[in-house]
Formats: sequence, C-alpha cells, structure tokens
Amino acid sequence: MNGELYDVTIVGGGPIGLFASFYGGMRQLKVKIIESLPQLGGQLAALYPEKYIYDVAGFPKVKAQDLVDHLKEQALYFKPAVVLGETVQEFERLDDGTFRLMTDKNIHYTKTILITAGIGSFQPRKLNLENAAVYEEKNLHYFVQNVNRFQGKKVCILGGGDSAVDWALTLESVASHVTLVHRRNKFRAHEASVEQLKNSRVEILTPYTITGLSGGEEIEAVTLEHTETKETINVELDELIVNYGFVSSLGPLKKWGLNLHKNSIVTNASMETNIEGIYAAGDIVHYEGKVKLIVTGFGDAATAISSIKAYVDPDARKQPQHSTSIFEKLTV
Amino acid sequence: MAHVITSPCRNEKAAECTEVCPVDAIQPGDDQYYINPDRCIDCAACVPVCPVNAIFFDEDVPEEERDYIKKNELFFAV
Repeated sequence: MNGELYDVTIVGGGPIGLFASFYGGMRQLKVKIIESLPQLGGQLAALYPEKYIYDVAGFPKVKAQDLVDHLKEQALYFKPAVVLGETVQEFERLDDGTFRLMTDKNIHYTKTILITAGIGSFQPRKLNLENAAVYEEKNLHYFVQNVNRFQGKKVCILGGGDSAVDWALTLESVASHVTLVHRRNKFRAHEASVEQLKNSRVEILTPYTITGLSGGEEIEAVTLEHTETKETINVELDELIVNYGFVSSLGPLKKWGLNLHKNSIVTNASMETNIEGIYAAGDIVHYEGKVKLIVTGFGDAATAISSIKAYVDPDARKQPQHSTSIFEKLTV
Repeated sequence: MAHVITSPCRNEKAAECTEVCPVDAIQPGDDQYYINPDRCIDCAACVPVCPVNAIFFDEDVPEEERDYIKKNELFFAV
C-alpha cells in the first residue's frame, strides 16, 4: 500500500482528521490518515476519554471517547487507509507535482497533504534517566502492545494515572508479579480502579521516584528513592513499563517552510497553506477570526476537503452537494 | 490566555500538574510551580489533578489571587 498514490493524506487522526477523512470519502477522494499514536482520536482519546463535551453541535452532552467512536465509524465508512504509530517527518515534491511523505517508519505518496495535527504529535513522556534510551527496543516499554509478552514475568510499572493503574490491573493476572511505583501516595486514576488496585495482588510502592536503571543487555533492576526519607531500594524486574502520560509538539512540521503564527499554521479561508497542495484544518490552524473548537475544526475540515477536491479534480464543483441527496448513490 | 497557578501551590508543590501537562508548560520555581503562558494550550488537564485547587483559567483567577497572573508571566520572561 505504500507505493500507492492517494488523493489526500491526512496528518493527524484526531476528531478533525477523522471528519476530514469521512468528508474526503464523501467527495470520492482516495484518503489515507497517518496518526502518531497507536490509536485514533487525538487529544479526546489520549488526554480525556472519560470527560463530557457539551459544545459539539447536535450533542447536548457527549463523552469524549463516545464522540471518537462515532467519528471513527463515520470516518471508516469509505474505507480510508489508516496508518497508526507513524510520525510524519518531512516531505518532498516530485516532478509531477505529487508528494513523497516520509514518516519515521515508511514512505507514502500523495497528491495533497491535509495537516490536522492539533497541538502536534503525541509522544510518551520518557524516563529522564541517562541510560534509558538504550533499553527502548529491549524491555523498557512506553506502550503495551502485546499482553502475552508479560506472561509469567516480573513487571514493574511507573506512573500514577489511569494508564499505569489500568495496566497494573490488567497484567496482575498475566504476570507472575506486578509492582506499581508512584511518587505520591495518592493515585490520579479513577476511584473505582484505585479501590480495585488496593484489593489486588499488585505490590504498591509509594511515595517513590526512580533514580536509576541497572542491567546489561536488558534492565534487570530499578533503584527507587523514597521521596521523604530518601532511603533507596532495588526492585528486580523482567519488564519495565513507564506510563508518564504524553507530551506533544509540532516537531518536524516546523521545518517544512510553512508560514507559522506562534505554534499554528497560517491558512487562507480555503484552508490552503503557503505551500501549494498542502492544507491544514482544526486547532493547528491560524487565520483571521479563527476560534479553536472541535466544531469550527469540523468546518475547517469540510472547507479543506472541498478545496482539495477542486485541486485534485479541477472539473469538480467546490460547493459540495448535500449528503441527503447524494449519499446513497456514492460508491464505497 | 493561559492557565495560572496561584498561592495554594506555595510550599505544596505537589507537581501532579507537571505529569499531565501535554505540552510540558509547567516548570518548578523556588516556592511554587509556574505555567508558561506561551506554551499553555488551555486544555485544563492540570486543573482537576491539583490537590490544592491552585490552578485557574486566567479570566477565572479569584480577585485576591490576580497578582499570580503577572507572577507566572514574569517567571518565564527573559
């Protein structure tokens, strides 16, 4: 699928990217979405899946994850290509005017690029220890992708939020032993999960911070320091999971030569950036009068896709027909 | 616009906010934490995790705490 040429490649699988993907399908464009996290949904799914949102048109109240689920269902209707866990790095314009788009893992080909990257790509907040990076491909994990890997192992989890607590509870029945370390006595996770944690076999070590990793090829133990007494202990382990939340940044996009205003990409009213063939929509955009909301982002997305349709197919009408009259005639 | 850390943080410095901030906008000072107003994206993730309810959206900072808006700004001023 990598060699295939797409009409539009959407950078960022948050709410705006998902809606743009749907709208692109409705305008019969060949769509690909690239998302840096292993899941779709952007901030809604990564930062506050359980919070209610009250200002999405048509929903008096909707839980962020439910909105994501609806958006996904809508977005996937036209079967776009979905690429997860890849961070877009740079682009190159080819002789025929199309783009070659490089991620940290692959190369993608596309006629246009639509950036819906919100506040930038999310990366896990990493362990701030000198020798941590070398263990990333080994037994230090910022994401849990395959639970079976932890079968019968001694697992140590760092963090105090929902991810840390949920993984501790999930792995309790898989691993031989789970230790959960947090620098405060109180966990940020849901009360019900914390209650479940207290009644589980998970060993809880608080208030401790990690001060060192030891081992050879793989991490064999971590050194923890009690935040009050400064006393240190060693915990032996087979696998270390770090759930310190996410940080985001525009990162490589800043070097694309796009006109920027603070940390936003400047577009015109057609959602075109200063680079022909590259468009942007949603929170990442700045134009006169821009308001950063989910609902205005949906509007940006529809405008951007209409502009892209006209760019890819100059005979196409820019003003779309109503979905009520054309939807059932569209081919998936 | 940005979020602002106010007086209850003084000498509390729980630092819960630094763990949830998605843009790493929160830095430690001598007596309290500060939010960099140029980096803050107003996502409000820090507000509910603060154990002493010290964080407010700048327009909602209580009257007697409004000095802290300037204090946050000055902390990051070069």
